[in-house]
Amino acid sequence: MGNITLGRYIPLDSPIHKMDPRAKIMGMLLMLVAIFFPAGWIGYAILFAAAACAIILAKLSPTFIWKAMKPMLYMLVFLLVINTFFLKTGTPLFTIGSFTMYSDAIFQTLYIAVRLLLMVMITTTLTATTKPLDMTLGIEDLLKPFGKIGVPYHEIAMLISIALRFIPDLIDETQRIIKAQESRGVDLKEGKFTERVMAILSLIVPLFVSAFQRAEDLANAMEARGYAPGEERTRYKVLKMEGRDYILLIVCAALLAGMIWLSMRS
Amino acid sequence: MPIRFEHVSHTYSAGTPYEYKALKDVNLEIEEGKITAVIGMTGSGKSTLVQHLNALLLPEEGKIEILDRTITAGEKPKNLKSLRGDVGLVFQFPEYQLFEETVIKDVAFGPKNFGVPESEAVERAKKALAMVGLEPDKFERSPLELSGGQKRRVAIAGILAMDPKVLVLDEPTAGLDPLGTVSMMSLFSKLNREMHKTILIVTHDMEQVFKYCDRVVVVENGSIRAHMSVAHFFSDSSFCKEMNILPPSLIRMKDLLREAGFEIDDRIHDIDGLASSVARQVKQHG
Repeated sequence: MGNITLGRYIPLDSPIHKMDPRAKIMGMLLMLVAIFFPAGWIGYAILFAAAACAIILAKLSPTFIWKAMKPMLYMLVFLLVINTFFLKTGTPLFTIGSFTMYSDAIFQTLYIAVRLLLMVMITTTLTATTKPLDMTLGIEDLLKPFGKIGVPYHEIAMLISIALRFIPDLIDETQRIIKAQESRGVDLKEGKFTERVMAILSLIVPLFVSAFQRAEDLANAMEARGYAPGEERTRYKVLKMEGRDYILLIVCAALLAGMIWLSMRS
Repeated sequence: MPIRFEHVSHTYSAGTPYEYKALKDVNLEIEEGKITAVIGMTGSGKSTLVQHLNALLLPEEGKIEILDRTITAGEKPKNLKSLRGDVGLVFQFPEYQLFEETVIKDVAFGPKNFGVPESEAVERAKKALAMVGLEPDKFERSPLELSGGQKRRVAIAGILAMDPKVLVLDEPTAGLDPLGTVSMMSLFSKLNREMHKTILIVTHDMEQVFKYCDRVVVVENGSIRAHMSVAHFFSDSSFCKEMNILPPSLIRMKDLLREAGFEIDDRIHDIDGLASSVARQVKQHG
């Protein structure tokens, strides 16, 4: 549990860390859209190089990305199994009994694996270099134009920031409860089915109780300080776009345009 | 056999920017059958230290001898479960560990995990609940309906029902009312006297250390700063001053009386003794 890397902020001093969150979020969105264009292997190689550059600039270690990627591996193995049974196109590779393995099964899975890897690389770079609070400020600003058509942008941003704020707390809480129940002889790794169910129950019930308790406390604390959604309020931290932020946006837009061009050509 | 820490170190989140060395080369011997207080400032490593006692945390370096087992750094401990049954660890604010439908089921959960048959587990649960002073009419209630103090007592009963040989308590009285605190501390004292349990208590309350504990361990910055008998530790306020600890009120009173010219014996350790000593001297000198 302590090694959860997905979505965790890593405090380092890098040019990417200093960028405007709005630019980073927009950049990420452009890159994510770019990934979904079938631009072929050349396209993916370019995107990979770009994402790798971002990671190096952000001073993140490859093992960090690898850790974030790990949980996806199970999904990929599952996908490969499904694909081997249902994808019967491409050239037959080998036959065992009545079962034939086709090349497309492997290529399709590999394709998705590459896309997933790119997505994890890009999103992890964003979350690892942007403080949760800055992220929500960015999201709020980016959603502001939609306020005119009735999107409650401030509430959405507040919701996200509260959710993000509680993730580390809930992880800590889970660890505390795991330890407390392990001290009472709970074995989370082994045991019969009924024992395992009890073990999981002994974690989930206290976790829910404390999550609800926290939510109530927070709501009370916010109300006590006069919080009302929709009111005009100033900010402690004012975001400002600088030269490097525009460069990031231009690079990302160029990458997207390149991917569109590559996929049209093929 | 005493509990022995030999060159024990522990680092959290090793190899990340969050790396934090919580214990540094700890050497410590905790006597059996005594009540030992573990004191120190917030973040000094007290909780990390006690979580090594039932192998929730494993030493990064060094080894720990506890009961008849040895936990060595880098080795997977054997018989983990039986160790956890023998060393009962009560966490800070243990009430969040309650989850069963009824109080009695929750308290019986621990012993059942250690292979005690259902009926005996319930018997043990009843006994433990009686020890912590919870009224029998609450046994069938949901633990979540109880008050904070009652929840705390149920949670502690949940560990007592396991009948551990060593009882480790991380700030067991934090947030309890004064009366609840006294009854809780007397219970631990009684468990130690009558059932010869080895007890470790992490606490910030010097009055508790002074009144209920035999030995005191001072943890500072992940190292053991001092380990001595409570009587010695509080014999005068010099140790406390040195370690930035506010001594118990009786010790402060003794200091003030000494400054005022009274002769106060180091061995006086309760308010009655102090009062009669002062009265005697006032009478003598008129």
